[in-house]
Amino acid sequence: MGTILIDGHIIPFKPGDNILQAALEANLEIPHFCYHAALGSLGACRLCAVEITPKDSSKAPRIAMACLEPLEDGLEVSISAIAAQQVRQHVIEFLMINHPHDCPICDEGGECHLQDMTVACGPPYRRYRGRKRTFSNQNLGPLIHHEMNRCITCYRCTRFYQDYALGNDLGAMRLRNEVYFGRFQDGPLENPFAGNLVEICPTGVFTDAIFRQHFARVWDLKTAPSICPHCSVGCNTLPGARDGTLRRVRNRAHPELNRWFICDRGRYGHQYSEHSARPLAPRASGADTSYHDALTAAASQIKSAQDCIGGLGSAREDLEGNAMLQALLNTLGGIYTAFSDPELETATIAAVSSLQNTGNAPSLAEIELIDAALIIGDLTAYAPMIDLALRQAYRKGAKLALLHSSPTPLAQFATTAMTVSPQEMRTTLSRLYQLINAQSATEDMTETPMTDIVASLMGARKLLLIGAIETLTAQEVPILAKLATALGSDTRLAYAFSGANAYGAALLSPAGSAMVMLEAVEAGQIRILIVAGNDPLGDSRFGPRWRAACRNLSALIVLDCILTATAKAADILFPVAAWTERGGTFINYEGRAQGFAPVFHRPEYLPSVAEVITDLGQYLGHSLQAAPSVLGDIFSDFEIPKPGTTGSLIIAPSLPMPTTPPVHSAQESCSSMWQAALTSWYGDEALASFAPGLMVLIPETVAMIEPTSAIDAGIKNGSQIKLRGSSGSMVLPVQLNQGVATGTIAIARNVLAQLGVGHGDLLELEQVL
Amino acid sequence: MNKKQTNDYTLALIKGLGHSLWAVLRHAFVKRETVSYPDIKRSLPLRWRGRIVLTRDPDGEERCVACYLCSAVCPVDCIHLQAHQNNDGRRYPETFSIDFSRCIFCGFCEEACPTLAIQLTPDFEMCERHHESLVYEKNQLLIDGQGKHPDYNFYRHAGVAIPGKAIGEAKGDTSPVDRDNNLP
Repeated sequence: MGTILIDGHIIPFKPGDNILQAALEANLEIPHFCYHAALGSLGACRLCAVEITPKDSSKAPRIAMACLEPLEDGLEVSISAIAAQQVRQHVIEFLMINHPHDCPICDEGGECHLQDMTVACGPPYRRYRGRKRTFSNQNLGPLIHHEMNRCITCYRCTRFYQDYALGNDLGAMRLRNEVYFGRFQDGPLENPFAGNLVEICPTGVFTDAIFRQHFARVWDLKTAPSICPHCSVGCNTLPGARDGTLRRVRNRAHPELNRWFICDRGRYGHQYSEHSARPLAPRASGADTSYHDALTAAASQIKSAQDCIGGLGSAREDLEGNAMLQALLNTLGGIYTAFSDPELETATIAAVSSLQNTGNAPSLAEIELIDAALIIGDLTAYAPMIDLALRQAYRKGAKLALLHSSPTPLAQFATTAMTVSPQEMRTTLSRLYQLINAQSATEDMTETPMTDIVASLMGARKLLLIGAIETLTAQEVPILAKLATALGSDTRLAYAFSGANAYGAALLSPAGSAMVMLEAVEAGQIRILIVAGNDPLGDSRFGPRWRAACRNLSALIVLDCILTATAKAADILFPVAAWTERGGTFINYEGRAQGFAPVFHRPEYLPSVAEVITDLGQYLGHSLQAAPSVLGDIFSDFEIPKPGTTGSLIIAPSLPMPTTPPVHSAQESCSSMWQAALTSWYGDEALASFAPGLMVLIPETVAMIEPTSAIDAGIKNGSQIKLRGSSGSMVLPVQLNQGVATGTIAIARNVLAQLGVGHGDLLELEQVL
Repeated sequence: MNKKQTNDYTLALIKGLGHSLWAVLRHAFVKRETVSYPDIKRSLPLRWRGRIVLTRDPDGEERCVACYLCSAVCPVDCIHLQAHQNNDGRRYPETFSIDFSRCIFCGFCEEACPTLAIQLTPDFEMCERHHESLVYEKNQLLIDGQGKHPDYNFYRHAGVAIPGKAIGEAKGDTSPVDRDNNLP
């Protein structure tokens, strides 16, 4: 720690920093392009020229690049020196020589770094009268628009894409003043973090192709601090809206979570709120109606059903909506849960309980610093930003061990990747626990991957155990927690939940209530079901049972902002506000409560779930307390977190580890039976699957099978097979894939739903000739 | 000394008064400069700041590229537009409205326009019975000509490709670099 002198200001610096970092930290602006806090210095753009006055007064001052100049105590630097200004002006003039005359039609205009720097340093007019170099563009898919003429060769894109996000399909080509940044061939960028190119590019080479379709300038956008609703990480975002429509979402830095980047699901998934089939008017008995009439109809149905009522909240609805629904159900004497899948409910509650016992999950910034990790399941699909944090850990040398049943992008970075079929996951984890407890790594060659995993875990100082809850069962979650305890106090435990508020939903849902509710609906004990932001009818494993059970209902009341299978089947439908149209609170995977603010309002009246429930309570003659006081009663001293702050860990009464028996009875396995495994991709999420831009990228629907088990069964790559589940059958082409476990068929969520099976259930396979 | 000064001043005053009276008398007999509007309409200079129009380029396409600079610069916020991207690469305003009951005809929009699309014309006769009818939509604003700036076509200078002009065919461009080849 020392100080330097920049233009007469005394600036402190940290050891290892350069002049640019110290100046930016002190809010002194040195013009720059290629330096980025996440990517470091490169010295490619030559813009951050400063003048350094040597200590020896007989020597002349020299010009240096601020981003490359190491700091020493007492260094005298001038940003405003004439010589430095001249260098910067010449650099800008040179960069602008080939820059096209595009600003009016460039989406970057208004937030363009090159525009700012040209105004700040450059000559006001162009002197160059020669011809400009041009590049043809590439089609980079539906999310990113490419306009290569605007490039200034700062290398930020490839440094982010290749070095930071570890993608391999974007690079630099050619040489001299003709360096080209693109793909080898046209085609969508494959990396799930490619959307960050839009923000990281200092000019308009990479722009947001979704925003472009309905473009508005940055100064016209209404913004407010928000939280991403698409997974349990809770990245901070800044949505922008105009004229009553949501236009785009950008990253908003959070010091411990997403600092500079968000994933493509967060950036492009928001278009679900602009989906053409989004319900915008209340509907009762098949016809659009007014909000008042819908409430009256709902209230009269509830009154006539008397006490036979259930309330299904949601892990993707905010804490307020879930708490209000629970409060209403408590008043009416009904059952409440936030999960439609009993298996998922038990697993989530078990995970929250084990997090409460073992200490909270690490933040993304902490995950980046780990030495070794044991990953269970496909994190890229359930928590893409944890995947990105693990990629940073990998870059720093962390050893990643992976247990998965279906293909996952993290496998390419794993030191040991082991495919385990869903039903064997529990025995595998138990075996790992035994091996770790035995303390001596057995040199048994038959257990090579297992002993490798044990060795990498035991040899690490900072360890992370992380699992994707959706593909774990309630029996596997406690084993993971036991593993964490066995591995020592420095071991951190984390779970990627399904749903932005899954942690909060687990705190509110009593264990086992989803099964109780489903059985009560089946038995006709529940006559009215209020579903807030959930889709029981579209569920993959329990969907068939819910669909059959819901025929017993006298009324299905649905509150949602997307047209799910349940919303389509609703007797009374209340369209509610999407997350940018209301405020609320999400609790992320760490247990951090974060508030989001309303960004804009639509012309239609769209209340939040909490508001509809409050109004419904009034129509029923019960005046419910306001959401903050309801939450204050549940969580002592809970204060609704202010949007735009870093959020705070929720203090909740500790949940007991659920002891409910396995929900689905173990099916008899026979030779013709295969296990189904859920294969997912980064755009696969309840809300984001209504975003048209992302939906173009859905992977082809295939049945993925491991090559050796396919050969044993006589199945060829590309041949057609017929899969039969409990509620249907489907013919799919086969794709052989090494990332699938033996005896397992990896299929997408919509196929699982159609077959009526869940992850780990058995399937019948028949070859179609 | 003092007295002489006073005398000179009075003399100048009388002289000036005489001149003025003579001028008034003379003008009673010269040709009138005022005309009786609206029976007679004067032709106004081209740079007069009146009713705003959107013009077309020499190819007959809309000049406006919906860059939002006019609406940003407008001091009374009377311009509202929404950009739309054509499949062929051209950008144009999907909607464009100017509230002339708010417009102060300052001409900032014309100055800001990078494509010479928005132009103020010498027409000022815009009386309407209702406030709403002073909100002009795009079909009322868009004219079929080039206005007072003929021969300028923004897309002939811009780097983007449009039908009939591929990348590298703009004025002053070289043909695109072959990215698959490292030869100079």
